[in-house]
Amino acid sequence: MKAKLAVFAVGLLSAAVPMLAHHSFSAEFDNTKKVVLKGSVTKVDWLNPHIWIYLDVKDEAGKVASWQCEGGAPNSLTRNGWTKNDLKKGDAVTINGTLAKDASNTCNASNVTLPDGRRVLGGSSNPDAPKE
Amino acid sequence: MKARTYGSFLAAAATAVIVTGALLFVPLKPLAGQDAAKGGAKGAGKGGGKGGAKGGYQPPTGPTPRKADGKVDFSGYWVRPYTPDMSASATDMDGKPFPPENAAARGTAAPPPPPPDPNAAPGRGGRGGGGRGGRLLPYTAWGANNWKNYDPGNGDYTGACLPFGLMRSINSPDPLQVMQDGAFMAYLFEQNTWFHLFPIDGRPHNKGIGTWFGDSVGHFEGDTLVIETVNFNGKTRLDTNGHPHSDQLTLTEKWTRTDMGHVTYEMAVHDPKTYSQDWKTLRTFTLGNDHIMEYSCEENNKALYEGRIKAPKYDE
Repeated sequence: MKAKLAVFAVGLLSAAVPMLAHHSFSAEFDNTKKVVLKGSVTKVDWLNPHIWIYLDVKDEAGKVASWQCEGGAPNSLTRNGWTKNDLKKGDAVTINGTLAKDASNTCNASNVTLPDGRRVLGGSSNPDAPKE
Repeated sequence: MKARTYGSFLAAAATAVIVTGALLFVPLKPLAGQDAAKGGAKGAGKGGGKGGAKGGYQPPTGPTPRKADGKVDFSGYWVRPYTPDMSASATDMDGKPFPPENAAARGTAAPPPPPPDPNAAPGRGGRGGGGRGGRLLPYTAWGANNWKNYDPGNGDYTGACLPFGLMRSINSPDPLQVMQDGAFMAYLFEQNTWFHLFPIDGRPHNKGIGTWFGDSVGHFEGDTLVIETVNFNGKTRLDTNGHPHSDQLTLTEKWTRTDMGHVTYEMAVHDPKTYSQDWKTLRTFTLGNDHIMEYSCEENNKALYEGRIKAPKYDE
């Protein structure tokens, strides 16, 4: 199921819950550029150093764009009770994130929310986010 | 690549804010063994809050454990506060904090706070002029220049999965397992599955090439283990924010196990090329009930493969 698109950049600084990062967030992501993606999960890579969530996002015109969003580290997610099965191909999700500096369809996921409002895979790799 | 525009775009007016070292490591679950962790974790994780530490795991109580020879035993799984910015808690060697740093101009002091508003309601006075945690370390000219010009966008060694080095690994949010026998101590860092092995029987340093983690030797002063590390290769940074050091760095750690569940950890920085005076930080480690896991930084480092992170180049 492909959810409708809502892709927009917001000027507000999201209150991310930082988890664990092994390197400088600001080297890769632009904390002034936020994005909200509503789409359908196509794949989840449960690998170090960060998990990756891939999703298809449809814009208002119905055109589908593929996005990839970085999540936390598998070890820390595991310790917080999450598994790679908590998000599956076909799941509709909303991802609040920060855009990559290279202008690709890449984000760092601050939070991942299911349609019923439940958050999954809590936390992001964003220690440079504004104080949560 | 072309800049992206979006259907509804609100211009971002704010500049990037770096969360500095006031952030403690607050797991989303109790500091616990895995059984308790899973129970607490699912509740806390799916609840989405940071309350996991509340009412959760408590470290064991009891006297400081000792080896058969009477030496304090520091073995254990140690949970440490994530310290991305050591300056936030840094003091001079007498314990006096450094002045706030100007977040907009590295290496300079923060402007003084505005005078109190006489018309302000009680409790709503202006904030102090110090930003959010960053403090002005006592740089030499070389150190200040290095700090001002540091940009991980030009080469991020940790993002490229190169060795973090000793201080960065201690500052890491990932757990540390310490193993100790009579003559040696080993730091087993979950961060990238690195280790650092060193003698603690008072022997002198080796004289070898400079390395990422340096050459450490330890000795006991009463119940405090003092570890001195020298001979760094100068290719690392002290913390995530990138505070500099040179190959003249000497780190002096002091481990004091105050009771079964806690260690007071002092780290002193001596680097006459980078800092005009020594400085230190003090933090508390808590004994957890878990074990370190494998962590292969290299297995899917997309950011590096896809060019969003650049590996640094070192000239010999």
